[in-house]
Amino acid sequence: MKVITAYCNLRADECLVNGEVVARRDAGSEDSWFKQIYRQQELAYPKFYKMDVLSQAGYLASEFIKRANPGIFEGYADDEIALVFANASSSAETDRRFMQSYQTGGSPSPSLFVYTLPNIVLGEIAILNKWYGENMFAVLPKFTPGFYLDYSEILLASGSRALLGGWLEVTAGSTYVFLFLVEQRESGTEFNNENLLHLSQTGSVAAY
Amino acid sequence: MIYIGAEVIVSPLGDNAEDNWQALSENRSGIALAPAVGFNNEDIYLSRIAGLNGPLRFQQLVIKALASLNERIDASILASDRTIVLISSTKGALDDNLHDQFSETCTAVMQQFGLAHLPMVISNACISGVLALNVAGNMVEAGQYEHVIVIGCDVASDFVLYGFQSLFAVSDKPCAPFDAARNGITLGEGCGAALVSATKSVFKNAPLQLLTGTSANDANHISGPSRTGEGLVRSVSRTMQKHGIGAEEIDFISAHGTGTVFNDEMEAIAFNRLSLAEKPLNSLKGYFGHTLGAAGVIETAVCMQMMRNGMLIKSIGYRDAGTSQPLNIILENKPEKLRTILKTASGFGGGNASLMIREL
Repeated sequence: MKVITAYCNLRADECLVNGEVVARRDAGSEDSWFKQIYRQQELAYPKFYKMDVLSQAGYLASEFIKRANPGIFEGYADDEIALVFANASSSAETDRRFMQSYQTGGSPSPSLFVYTLPNIVLGEIAILNKWYGENMFAVLPKFTPGFYLDYSEILLASGSRALLGGWLEVTAGSTYVFLFLVEQRESGTEFNNENLLHLSQTGSVAAY
Repeated sequence: MIYIGAEVIVSPLGDNAEDNWQALSENRSGIALAPAVGFNNEDIYLSRIAGLNGPLRFQQLVIKALASLNERIDASILASDRTIVLISSTKGALDDNLHDQFSETCTAVMQQFGLAHLPMVISNACISGVLALNVAGNMVEAGQYEHVIVIGCDVASDFVLYGFQSLFAVSDKPCAPFDAARNGITLGEGCGAALVSATKSVFKNAPLQLLTGTSANDANHISGPSRTGEGLVRSVSRTMQKHGIGAEEIDFISAHGTGTVFNDEMEAIAFNRLSLAEKPLNSLKGYFGHTLGAAGVIETAVCMQMMRNGMLIKSIGYRDAGTSQPLNIILENKPEKLRTILKTASGFGGGNASLMIREL
């Protein structure tokens, strides 16, 4: 059966991995929330500082999944992990910043422009992990478990053996990030509508 | 079997596939010099649709394409619960609403055409169109839907033009894919649509067969193509393997061919690694410019017209070989029976996607 073997939730003021809080926001810090997490967790990937908020979120959440579950990706060939991400506002936050660069900042910023596509986060994760698998980014009105359930059925029947799913909504006003790994296992937290909705909202899984 | 047909193209060359075909068969391009549109008020070559102005340009194009497609299929399909619409696009209605680039269009389309489901948006940079066609084929094959309508659409905007200018990626002449003197893209706008279905009888004109393909990231750089073409090689070889099709069966390749130095070089390397270098190949960017999220759908629709009309179309803008590995670029239109064609796309974020279309 398909089970959720690991997940990470990034909220406005806390970061949870497999339901456990690993970082809390320091309201007094001058650093952005994602930079606070990066520093607190002693990550070392300087490219992080060049990334936009969507890519930072995807990078952090995927690294925490790896860290909390050592070896979790090792049993797969480099093209067997599919990435299926979605959100509601595309890359709007970075789009706004890029627009500012040419409207009030003097000239269009190439380093912002390259992040004005929502699928760039998939590229960042693929580059870091050297993954050559299937990628898809969809823009949906809201987090919809059925989207991941339906598309996983297709991917897992056609060459992919695991799926890293993600909902990455990061705007000026809110942070709602949920990454989850789906694998074939004999038992575990079943990959279904109810569990996805639950894990996306509460960050902890119901007892079974 | 998965069928594909009822193709529609809305571009500077016409409002339907037949008018676009007429222009292509005469090697007419939609690209023209647009005065003072650049960030520093430079004149820039663009492929823009005359008369597409004002607000809601994205929505207008999507609705126009879907209305046109609807005339080519069984009247019951659009409102069916077994039908979904996929929209492939990079920036959608960004000029109308920065913070919500798609949902107004999706809602308007759903209401106007009485769709049973809200359209779903796929936004994967320049591979969006080919990817959406593959998603459509996969959904039909898995029985999730019986009919999937794919609409690829992007409109030209200051936002995207200034962005490509900031990367020094805009050609100072109409783009010249694979040519030795190529120096960048020409931005275009347009909309392509097609119906992917499990049922042959819903098409008013005979459909073709969609051989659904795969995508592969090249895990190399977010805005620079791989030097080895690894992602494209993997995508194409998986697509061919999936259907048991060998290189000898491919009659034509519709390449991505943006006209940038590095993209076209990457494709030449990949097609050589795939032993496909001798296949007749073109890029359609010289006709439509780079229509981003629409490109894969528009160019697949052109491939279908090429198959229906039995004609290879010249790759305009190309004169002298300009890649380190040889390619068989189509220099003049030529009648040719096309039984199986390969369409590829590559884009920012390291994405590569491919599909094949086969004659029934």
